[in-house]
Amino acid sequence: MTGSAMNRTPPEMLQGTVDILVLRALAWQAMHGYAISRWLDGRSDGVLSVEGAALYQALHRLERRKWIISEWGLSENNRKAKYYSLTTAGRKQLRTETSTWMAYADAVHKVLSPA
Amino acid sequence: MSIGRRFFKLPWRSRTTIARDVDTELSFHLDMRIAELRARGLSEDAARQQAMAEFGDLDFTRVYCRRQDERTERDDRHADRLAEWRQDLAYAVRTLRRSPAFAIVSLLTLAIAIGANTAVFTVSRAVLLQPLPYADADRVYRVSSSWPGHPTDVVPLSPADFADFQQTQTSFSGLGAIVPSQSVIWRPKSGDPKSLDALLVGSNLFSVLGTPALLGRAIIAGDEIPGNDHNVVLSFDCWQRDFGGDAGIVGQSIELSGATYRVIGVMPYGFLIGQHEDLWLPYDQAGTLKDVVRARKQHYVHAIGRLKAGVTPARALADLRTVAARLAQQYPEADSARSASMRPVRDIISGDLRPALLLLQGAVALVLLIACANLANLALSRTMGRRRELATRAALGAGRARLVRQLVTESLLLSIIGGAMGVGLAMAATRLLLSVNPTTLPPMFDARVDAGVLAFSLAVSLVTGVLFGLLPALDGSSANLYESLKDSGRGNSGGRASGRVRKTLVVAQVALALILLTGAGLLIRSFGELTRVTLGFDPQGVVTAGLRAAGDQYEDPVRVNAFYDGVIDDLSHAPGVTAVGAVSDLPTRGGSGTALRIEGEQNDEARLPELTYLSVRGDFFKALRIPIIAGRGYDARDRPDIPETTIINETTAKRFFPKGDAVGRRIRIGPDPNGTWMTIIGVAGDFHSEGLDTPVKPTLYANHRHEAWMRSMSLVMRTSRTAADAGALIRRAIRARDPSLAVRDVETLNGVVGGSLASRRFALGLATCFALIALTLAAVGIYGVLAYNVANRTREFGVRIALGASSSRVVSLVVRQGVVASLVGIVAGLVGALLGARLLSGMLFGVTTLDVRTYGSVVLLVFIVAMIACIVPALRATRVDPLTSMRAD
Repeated sequence: MTGSAMNRTPPEMLQGTVDILVLRALAWQAMHGYAISRWLDGRSDGVLSVEGAALYQALHRLERRKWIISEWGLSENNRKAKYYSLTTAGRKQLRTETSTWMAYADAVHKVLSPA
Repeated sequence: MSIGRRFFKLPWRSRTTIARDVDTELSFHLDMRIAELRARGLSEDAARQQAMAEFGDLDFTRVYCRRQDERTERDDRHADRLAEWRQDLAYAVRTLRRSPAFAIVSLLTLAIAIGANTAVFTVSRAVLLQPLPYADADRVYRVSSSWPGHPTDVVPLSPADFADFQQTQTSFSGLGAIVPSQSVIWRPKSGDPKSLDALLVGSNLFSVLGTPALLGRAIIAGDEIPGNDHNVVLSFDCWQRDFGGDAGIVGQSIELSGATYRVIGVMPYGFLIGQHEDLWLPYDQAGTLKDVVRARKQHYVHAIGRLKAGVTPARALADLRTVAARLAQQYPEADSARSASMRPVRDIISGDLRPALLLLQGAVALVLLIACANLANLALSRTMGRRRELATRAALGAGRARLVRQLVTESLLLSIIGGAMGVGLAMAATRLLLSVNPTTLPPMFDARVDAGVLAFSLAVSLVTGVLFGLLPALDGSSANLYESLKDSGRGNSGGRASGRVRKTLVVAQVALALILLTGAGLLIRSFGELTRVTLGFDPQGVVTAGLRAAGDQYEDPVRVNAFYDGVIDDLSHAPGVTAVGAVSDLPTRGGSGTALRIEGEQNDEARLPELTYLSVRGDFFKALRIPIIAGRGYDARDRPDIPETTIINETTAKRFFPKGDAVGRRIRIGPDPNGTWMTIIGVAGDFHSEGLDTPVKPTLYANHRHEAWMRSMSLVMRTSRTAADAGALIRRAIRARDPSLAVRDVETLNGVVGGSLASRRFALGLATCFALIALTLAAVGIYGVLAYNVANRTREFGVRIALGASSSRVVSLVVRQGVVASLVGIVAGLVGALLGARLLSGMLFGVTTLDVRTYGSVVLLVFIVAMIACIVPALRATRVDPLTSMRAD
């Protein structure tokens, strides 16, 4: 099952990383899972493509934490699809996580940059 | 979505639905991806393969998502349910706040009913349920000597019989001996000597009971051997009280009755073998057995045994009886008519209290039932008043279950708050009860409100809440609610069915109250009869004090006589003292038993009549104002150095000397058939030596001057002084004669006699209290139903009055309803009381369970109270103003 998937998702892409990416994806509008994966692909120019398995596990995990909620709706092509949207708690979580990540990325960036 | 959940509750998703939803979601993703890849020109198969590969572990994800969703679902359900309960609770609090009168009446009723139940449970649990301080206490029995055919009439064993039982029985892992209380005098390092209660125990007794010592060790084999036997084990109480809980007490020496003893151990808190002993000393069984005749014939050894594993009580009893039968053959003059019996120690310890406590527990349970009926009625009226509110809620989508839950929440809220108040009440009441009646409860029982009691009260509160809440809730939520919305006029009159329910509740209340009142009535009558019992002596103005001539020098009876003569003489010359004497056992505290042989008559050695033996000296008869009916009392002539003279009571004279020739005859008492003869010099009046509820037995008042081997006596002093003042006087007199001796238990004879009625008064007071509460509740119940009825029929009464109905006609209309319900209740209650009174028969004295006077007065009382409860609402009905009533609504 893995094979080419290994190339798509960076191996060290941790649960927490997928979570924050999903939250970010839902920040402006409700989306179904497939749309989220397309959005992440597009936003990161394919670098941060998330494996379907990891994405859906993250979605259901986040829903259980009450950061996102789901609702059945109709997709663009008139099929039954599950749409996710951020809750207030999710939005708050996104904000804190984002600033933590920014600080972290800055620090990593500083360390790795040639002096 | 969240909005949907909150306001239009969606059905909860099942596991199957969750699984299907996850599948739908995942296949949507895959299909979308396949379609996209197809659009890029891949074949169906290739597209599917690539999509699957990109997706990763599909099977695991499916399982993972399902499990997450199931958990989410469960959490949501809990949260929702919690929210609903909170909503119900908040609503209940609001509604109760809006009707404070209802809330207060309910809470008070509940607090009283649950409090009473808790208080009684606290005591009865301590006595009946809490473990005794022995290992596996249910297998510990007391073995006694008895007569065939009279298994409950038991006496202790003789030391020699005990030894034989100990050696030949096979059912008990051990039989231990107890020789009951003797007082010993303890001389503290500083301060006055103090009298302590000692129990002599066989060296194996502690191992039979299986309780380890708290400090040091208990008495073990070898401790009883003379020369090695000056060892003492202290009770926890004694250790705390007299030795300040000194942790280094073990190994120290203390002086008891003039001899030096070594403290070898302290037993744990709550451990007692008798009822109130302070310490235990080893019992020299082998030494006692040296006196062959006395050892076989004097019965004073209590035997405690532990059943071997696997041996049934029935088999053990058969075993004991076999031993007894062999003893009867072997020692016919001592044991020919004797058998053996056994009883669990728990029964012996809680014996007197058990029926009283079970009775009280039953009584409070009835009170609680009445309270429930009352509250159900009250709540029922309220629900009817709230029919429209409930109907509105139902119309807005609340299901029936939700409405029932709402109403039950209200009653549970009430019952839990009421229960909490009740527990507070019970804590105060238990403390009060036990401090008012300190002698009622053996100190081994520790009655206090603890986790167990709290759990009981909580359970009672919950059951109560459901009981009185469910009925109105089911009624209030019934389908015809919707009609009450349409119905504007008599919308809140309630259905026929609920009217019937309410009347049934009233009938039940009246019946239960009548049962309780009958019980209390019978107890009150018994108590009245008891206090009317002619005591046979005059306790007024008599002070008593316990005394023991302890110490080696008093082994000599001459010294005992000199001591008591001196003390009594000193005291009789003190100002304000009329007469002073002494007696071996104070009135109502029993006496010992002895056998009677009459000179010149055929005395059947196997069946000698029993006499109660009391030893008296000084002006005993004068101090207690017991009349000398024939002959004379003791005086200076009855010296210890002349042949013994004696005095018998009237019952003895009548039974054994029916010709009236008692004075001058000679009798012989005690175990020895060749003992010395005693000449009867007088017949004294009867008095109740064993308690007021026990008939007077044939009694011998021996002359203590001749019986000075008995060193413990109770002084009786007729005096105009107060008890405290008299006590000080007695202490001074004793100190003047022998400063090493101690005085104990200074009290009035009235107190002694009253104390013998304590447990009866305890039960009586509580039962009466409960009965009156029940009557009040029943009256409130009747009143409530009728008042509610009148309020509902205001318009009808208005019309009747307008049409010319007289006041008396209106009154009788209302009263008739109440009277019918009360009469039915009275009849039902009478039946219940007649059945229930049989449970009381053991506690009655001088009245039968069918006492007509009691039943008559109780019926009358209930009827009068019921009538009063009817009249008030009836009068209100006559004051209805026709005009306003018809304009209403």
